[in-house]
Amino acid sequence: MSTYLTKRLIYMVLILIGASMLIFFLYALTPGDFVSGNLKMSAERKAELRDLYGLNKPVFERYLIWMKNALHGDFGYSLAQQKPVLTLFNEYIWNSFLLAIVSTFLTWVIAVVIGVISAYKQYSWFDTIVMIFIFAAMSIPSFFIGLFLIKTLAVDLKWLPPGGMMTTGSNATGWAYVKEVIHHMTLPVVVMTLLGVGSLTRYFRSNMIDVIQQDYIRTARAKGLTERTVLFRHALRNALLPAITLVGFELPGLFGGSIIIEKIFNWPGIGQLYMQSFGSRDYPLLMGFTMFIAVLTVIGTLISDILYHLADPRVKL
Amino acid sequence: MKKGLFSLLTVIISGALLLSACSQQSSTPAAEGNAASTTTTTTDQATTETSSGLTELLKATDISKLPELAQKRTDTVIVGLTDPSGAFTPYFQQSGYDGNVSSLLYSSLVTVDNSGVPIPDLAESFDISDDQLTYTFHLRKDSKFSDGSPLTADDVAFTWTILHDKAYDGGYDLLSAHIKGGEAYKEGKAKTIEGIKVIDPQTISVTLDKVNATALLTLGSEVLSKAYYGKDYKFGQLDYIKNLHATPVGNGPYKLEKFIPGQEVRFVANENYYKGKVKIEHFIYKTTEGDTFQFVETGEQDFGGFQATTDNIDRLKKIGFLNLQPYTASNYGYLQFNMEHETLKDKAVRQALTYGLDRKTIYVDSNQGAAAIANIPTPQSSWSYTEDGINPYNYDPEKAKQLLDEAGWKEGSDGIREKDGKKLKIHFIGSKKKGTDVFIAVAKENYAAIGVQLEAEQFADFNSQIAKFESGDFDLVSFSTPILTDPSDGVISFVNGEVKGYNNPKIKELYDKGLATNDIEARKAVYKELYQVINEDAPYIFTSYGKSVYAYNGRIEGFNLNPFRGLSTSIPEWTLK
Repeated sequence: MSTYLTKRLIYMVLILIGASMLIFFLYALTPGDFVSGNLKMSAERKAELRDLYGLNKPVFERYLIWMKNALHGDFGYSLAQQKPVLTLFNEYIWNSFLLAIVSTFLTWVIAVVIGVISAYKQYSWFDTIVMIFIFAAMSIPSFFIGLFLIKTLAVDLKWLPPGGMMTTGSNATGWAYVKEVIHHMTLPVVVMTLLGVGSLTRYFRSNMIDVIQQDYIRTARAKGLTERTVLFRHALRNALLPAITLVGFELPGLFGGSIIIEKIFNWPGIGQLYMQSFGSRDYPLLMGFTMFIAVLTVIGTLISDILYHLADPRVKL
Repeated sequence: MKKGLFSLLTVIISGALLLSACSQQSSTPAAEGNAASTTTTTTDQATTETSSGLTELLKATDISKLPELAQKRTDTVIVGLTDPSGAFTPYFQQSGYDGNVSSLLYSSLVTVDNSGVPIPDLAESFDISDDQLTYTFHLRKDSKFSDGSPLTADDVAFTWTILHDKAYDGGYDLLSAHIKGGEAYKEGKAKTIEGIKVIDPQTISVTLDKVNATALLTLGSEVLSKAYYGKDYKFGQLDYIKNLHATPVGNGPYKLEKFIPGQEVRFVANENYYKGKVKIEHFIYKTTEGDTFQFVETGEQDFGGFQATTDNIDRLKKIGFLNLQPYTASNYGYLQFNMEHETLKDKAVRQALTYGLDRKTIYVDSNQGAAAIANIPTPQSSWSYTEDGINPYNYDPEKAKQLLDEAGWKEGSDGIREKDGKKLKIHFIGSKKKGTDVFIAVAKENYAAIGVQLEAEQFADFNSQIAKFESGDFDLVSFSTPILTDPSDGVISFVNGEVKGYNNPKIKELYDKGLATNDIEARKAVYKELYQVINEDAPYIFTSYGKSVYAYNGRIEGFNLNPFRGLSTSIPEWTLK
């Protein structure tokens, strides 16, 4: 196990170095830079600014400077926002995380419950209806569901707020503030859950169907165990095993923000910030954020592997 | 290693997806909000519908429909703003949205009236010497910053000085005013700027190297407190200002109360404002991206800007509690020719392509009347606007054909004109948006009718379009200008080499003449002549002035929109009924 971990960690470092170079050069190669989009500025002033920002240095030198600072924990100042990149992350990521963690949790719970039931009652009317509903939810674009819910629930019925994270101008604190945020996050969470629940339910359903047909389930039933024990102790546990690998992959998604959902619901998350910084070629922010996601992805896969080993000792690392 | 490779791939793929999902950078001015998307209609429908368009303020029909949420706010007004980032120090901010915030926090020495003529604001008055090289600003005796400290000529001198620092990396170009000794200071050859003289605490004068009609507005902008922003200042060292962005000390109608990133900027009235404390105690800029209709309709926001399409106006009218104010933007859209290409060096060809384009269908009718046709490089709201002696280039395919025939472009066997074996093809580049789609569809047909082939290329990302533009690989490119305050802003691209391949000495001469005096009547005459020359030369096909409609709660009074300064000059005058 420990030799495996050391090996994995060395690989991870190599992967991240490779990824950082690739990402840096990709961004450097996209046409335009931070000053080129400003039509009002004279060419001389643009050249001066490129010099001040260090944008006129060779790409590789810029990469080395970035890497050196990053290793010292300095991810630079966002050019467009005029703030340290890490401060910006701290201001926006937690909002995205809040939406993601709640909707991921709901997605998993709903997917497991529905997946198990519809597998157990395969081809029943419940199974059919659920499958139709799930495919429908999966195939409708997020912006459509989002706007539809805003129109009906927020504008027409006025049950829920149309967007934002709290009532504008509100001075609520403590419990009142928590309630306000829950009120505001309901719609985006519902949409995110609707979109995510489909594929996961199908995944659990098919896993469960496979497991139910195994010999050990027949054995368990033959032993005279209650159906409940068979289903939840013997079948579900085995059906959940492959899903553990998915847990690790959810990690970057939890912090990455959702560009479309955040835009529709006016949610102050990192996804929107990232999109804007791409439009303005705010390199420090772009690099910082993409690398952050890269690190999470790599860590996520490691966690998956370790979890898989812990859950199923047959899997050797 | 297999897993490792996989994770690397995931990173790359997600990166690529993000790249492709990128939408175009919005260049619309902040306070206008994001206009709702429009639906295309056929010409017939649109002409009947435009009759219901707005020409003047339409009062709310039923104020009782105002949602409870808005009624409960008795001392607060909420306006949407796309994306303030938190850098609230004027001159040191990169985003125009931060500019909207700081224009409530800081007043300018000089502002402009509704037709763009400079008038005093924070300065009580200003005089210009007879040789038009020395400007003297007289400050108010009792001016104060929001922290209660006095505002003096030293603060003005300090502000002008740091904008000459070699480390200044913002977008404000004070050097364009050519203050005497300014260059020397920037190069570190002088300790102070020679041309700036503090006469007494309320009087400051500045001498320029050459006469420049835009200098008054360039010099007369916001004033930073020397005591606050200058206590750590050393030449070549401005980084410390970044730490002060979040805690502005200003002199405007409002003070910053709280900034919640991505959500709100809260203001509270500044009791030290020189015009006295404003009537509405609290003001909030709410961060809203995209269509703000739902926030205006539910009363979460008191104001919204929309594209003035018939659909939008009808929808807004139905809400009942909104006052609707039509508004034409102070910028213009244009299609620029690449005059480094042999074909387009010929004025006749450029004129033919202007006559041959049905601009009314493309810009006015397909937008349900939310635009007016432009023919000169200045907004309709400007004092320099004229239609006298200006060719409107009304859609006239026959005239276009005749011009092309005369220029030697003869129709080939495939219907496309040729000259010396070269086909008349136009390579168009533009952004990826609905308006461009309409342009391409109509222009292709229009140009095919006069024997010209149009090839179009669209870019989802503004910077990519700029890069293509700079590479010179295009014939025609679509752009729009930022808000234009001085008429010289709208024509500078014709003289500074930005419009490549276009070189008319007459333009340069008139441009300089237009800046060589501060007398507006004299300037009017110069710009009129300049516009006539440009209109004849057709280096651009001028396209349109965008029309918006501003919708605000009927309970807000004192709404007076300055087309050059946006909302910021009007907000302090608002009252709540």
